[in-house]
Amino acid sequence: MSNAKSPLQRLNETQSAYLLLLPFLLTYGLFLIYPFFRGVWISLHDWNLLQVAFNPDAKQFVGLDNYVRVMWGRNIEWSPWARPVLQVLGLLGVVASVALNRTRRLTSLTSVALGLAGAALFLISGVHAGEEGRWFDRRFWPTVGNTVLFVGLTVPGVTISALLIAAALNRETRAMSLLRTLFFLSQVLSVTVVTLIWQIMFSPRQGLIANITELAGGSPINWLTDERFAMAAIVIATIWWSLGIAMILFLAGLQDISKDLFEAGALDNCTGVRAFWHITLPNLKRTITLVIILQIILHFQVFGQSHLMTQGGPNDETQVLVRYIYQTAFRDSELGRASAMAVFLFVIMGAFSVVQFLVGREEND
Amino acid sequence: MLSRSYYWLVLALSIPAFLWLVPTIWMVSLSFQPNDVLARTTSSTFLGLVPIPFTVENYTALFAFGQTPMWFLNSIIVALGMTFGVLAVSTTAGYALARLNFPFKAPIAVLCLIGLMVPEQAVFIPLYTMFSDFGWHNSYHALILPRMAVPIGVFLMLQFFKAIPKDIEEAARLEGVSWIQIFWHIMLPLARPAMMTLAILTFLYAWNDYLWPLVSAQQRDYFTITLGLASIQSNFAQSEGLGRVMASGVIASLPVVILFLIFQRYVVQAMTAGGSKG
Amino acid sequence: MKHLLTGTLLACACASTVTAQDITLGRFFGACEDAGTDTKASVGEACIIQSIINAADAEIEGVSIETLPTDWGNYYDQIKAAYAGGTPPDVHVMHRHRVPEFAGFGALAALSEDDLASAGIDPADWTDSARDAVTFNGEIYGVPMDLHANLWHVNMDLMAEAGLVENGEPVLPSSPEELLEHARQMKEATGQDYLAADFAQFPIGVRLVLSLMWQQGENIFSEDGTATIDNDAAQAAVETITQLFAEDLSDPQLNYADSQQSFLNGEAAVLVNGTWVVDFHTAEAAKEETGLDNYYAAEFPTLFEEGATWADSHIWVIPSPVKQDAETYEAALKVLAFINEHNVDWARTGHMAVRNSVLESDEYASLPHRTEYAGTADIARDTPPAENYGAIQDVLNRELQAIWLTDKPVADALADANIEVQDLLDR
Repeated sequence: MSNAKSPLQRLNETQSAYLLLLPFLLTYGLFLIYPFFRGVWISLHDWNLLQVAFNPDAKQFVGLDNYVRVMWGRNIEWSPWARPVLQVLGLLGVVASVALNRTRRLTSLTSVALGLAGAALFLISGVHAGEEGRWFDRRFWPTVGNTVLFVGLTVPGVTISALLIAAALNRETRAMSLLRTLFFLSQVLSVTVVTLIWQIMFSPRQGLIANITELAGGSPINWLTDERFAMAAIVIATIWWSLGIAMILFLAGLQDISKDLFEAGALDNCTGVRAFWHITLPNLKRTITLVIILQIILHFQVFGQSHLMTQGGPNDETQVLVRYIYQTAFRDSELGRASAMAVFLFVIMGAFSVVQFLVGREEND
Repeated sequence: MLSRSYYWLVLALSIPAFLWLVPTIWMVSLSFQPNDVLARTTSSTFLGLVPIPFTVENYTALFAFGQTPMWFLNSIIVALGMTFGVLAVSTTAGYALARLNFPFKAPIAVLCLIGLMVPEQAVFIPLYTMFSDFGWHNSYHALILPRMAVPIGVFLMLQFFKAIPKDIEEAARLEGVSWIQIFWHIMLPLARPAMMTLAILTFLYAWNDYLWPLVSAQQRDYFTITLGLASIQSNFAQSEGLGRVMASGVIASLPVVILFLIFQRYVVQAMTAGGSKG
Repeated sequence: MKHLLTGTLLACACASTVTAQDITLGRFFGACEDAGTDTKASVGEACIIQSIINAADAEIEGVSIETLPTDWGNYYDQIKAAYAGGTPPDVHVMHRHRVPEFAGFGALAALSEDDLASAGIDPADWTDSARDAVTFNGEIYGVPMDLHANLWHVNMDLMAEAGLVENGEPVLPSSPEELLEHARQMKEATGQDYLAADFAQFPIGVRLVLSLMWQQGENIFSEDGTATIDNDAAQAAVETITQLFAEDLSDPQLNYADSQQSFLNGEAAVLVNGTWVVDFHTAEAAKEETGLDNYYAAEFPTLFEEGATWADSHIWVIPSPVKQDAETYEAALKVLAFINEHNVDWARTGHMAVRNSVLESDEYASLPHRTEYAGTADIARDTPPAENYGAIQDVLNRELQAIWLTDKPVADALADANIEVQDLLDR
């Protein structure tokens, strides 16, 4: 090294560290942390997009009004029988978590999670508008419900099919890697390409599915405009699109299962489906949990499929949270309300991220 | 070695794999059929999966008049810009957090971890108003900068750097090599595979991002191909015609598909790493 | 050689000093990339407007026009985002019903009579309704381009087969009962649906119901901001349509493209849609392969007491910030003047012209099918002005879709719509 050191070389460890951190911390602070708090701040204002653009003083501080207007109503009550099916399901969840924990079929963390989920379902679905009462925003909770339904259909769909395919493809041969490539290919397409393809696929006049049904003598289904099929349609498109990641994660998990286990199992005549059930599944439990949480976080933020394929219709059946936020902000110009919903989204996502973090840490232990 | 049941398995799996491919094949096939035929029927030959009657007119028209080439170019610029940006801030920060000791290291690391919880959809409105105040909309940097703030890359690099043995660095330190030089001359070359992974993850994300470009780019000059494609698919019946729109879809998919086929190993790694960590 | 080089360099320098004034232009209507500059030859909204723009770009000296994205889906969201971001286009198209919202916030430049006159635009030539369309609080905020309304697009061959043609004109119903009768007759004689429309996607169904409410002298909300959707008139209007669905004489699940296709394939005798498809249908009817051969563009029939059909206007406006730069403003006005000048070309789409001089011209009268719906201008109606009309229309579209796509009871849907529209009016 030469003696004439450049200033860069004279930095000590702390100075070097901060210099190296600086670019990231700057962008991070400016484009993530600050916007986040600014979003919370906007959510406390009556803030019209156009009005404020032409007159910055036109915003008005309204406290938590936006949250109330979006999430609450007049004469909101709670009763144990408002939605019997859901509430009984919630109670069953609580009972099951206690019972399974007693019999040691579940770890404490999982049973606590199940118990909490059950209790939440019981409590939340008991809330309803009483007599003469009404929700201030009648679309918000149904929209959240649609989003949950979308997640509830997509996540098991993706997880189960990806798991089966991954288990079948878990061999290092040419043919298998080619098949893996085929299954994975759709994952790299953009959401607009996916919606383009599936919009036409589902079209009752021009669609491939309709062409096949007609060939078979049936009359085509109006997938995207029939209330019974619209949600199914965007779920199918989403499963087709996002199976790849789950499959790859499962394959990675499968690689970690020792071959000895399968060989030992084979001696006990435990092969094929039985090996899958008794060896693969138990050893893949953590990966499965991670994949599920990851998918929940990913699909809760669904936007493009609903926005482009069904425009939220028919009759709001496929309206989802992020699309509602987008519309409230840019069609109705109500940035305050939209931001309140965005904060709600963040809370939900944050909760799942914490769970993901905990599960991930459990895995590393 | 391979048993007969193996061949049966391959055969059995080929059917769903083919079905999985059908929508993509169909898009490609439609893009090679004349528009006036498609207006009447989309199932000319073998359910439309084979492009007969055949034409390349959709593609020539696309490049002659279309905005698709410009959108394509924008996507390339944005995706490459974002990739380099993310690599730059993630490698430096990841290295500092993984290998160096300095005051407030733990709180800074935790602060970055928290950022993983904030989804893009939760901050796009304040980001939008911020960029409005700066007058930044309709520019490449407006499309690139927000994603550089996402800490996932920092964590990928942090984890990679942590796994490198300490002695390489210590030997260099004894010879009086500065930290910056160690980073630049020793660590970065070692980190190439991890950087490749991160690069591909970022490129794919940038290419496919929809919501942020939708609110930030209102001028055609700054449309990305993903956004452009969204803008023409709602009313193709009245304007371009199905074949043209499908051709745009094919063009929009080509780079990512090629990238995927060439760097399959890295893509898989990127998905695994990005998937399990956030 | 060297001289030559410096010569070219100088030429370049000169050329760049007299650059044309760049005007960005925002519009919907869809893309037409190879429209050319012949405003007399293009077909369809997208291509006609683009040919006019291209011609303006070529013919107005010192002005060059760049067209921004052209899709419908996110148009108003994006234009708002552009305003809020401080980068609105220099001129853009919009609907009459959005004027209260945009002008109300001071987003639009008021165009004085002097400015208009110096650009060669004569507001006195506009029809009264067109002048109303661009006027807000006594000021002119834009240049009207058309009056567009819902028509009944008719397949005459199917009508003839069902015995519903007289003197070469279609026999249209004059009451809800007669509508049902005709529809049954159609099904019996031809096996086809009587009526098709986009009931599942864009708010065409809303416009249908609105027309039928107006025909009974009612409206969805009053000038003073009270929602009036939950009443007998609305019930009657909705049931006029649902009676067709109940007997399978019309398909509520068709979206815009599908309903259009079904009409072109000869699977529906009547398509309810706007004036904008007249020239397209004319062109398609001339083709061999389409199922539609004999096309008639009929006025929206009166099923109740008075004639009324939904109507709106496309108008061209200049954002208020543009006015701060005199040169851009002047250039933008020139573009509006050029569009105003080519009103008859735009009318070729099927839209009604807004200039009296055009309406009285032979060229206009000779446009295909024009005489068949000449009376539409007299029955054209619209909702009272509202700042958030977009959201109101969306509520109605959702609740009406709930009725015909998900069997929600009419009374419930109307009550819900009333509450939500009232909420929007109160905001």
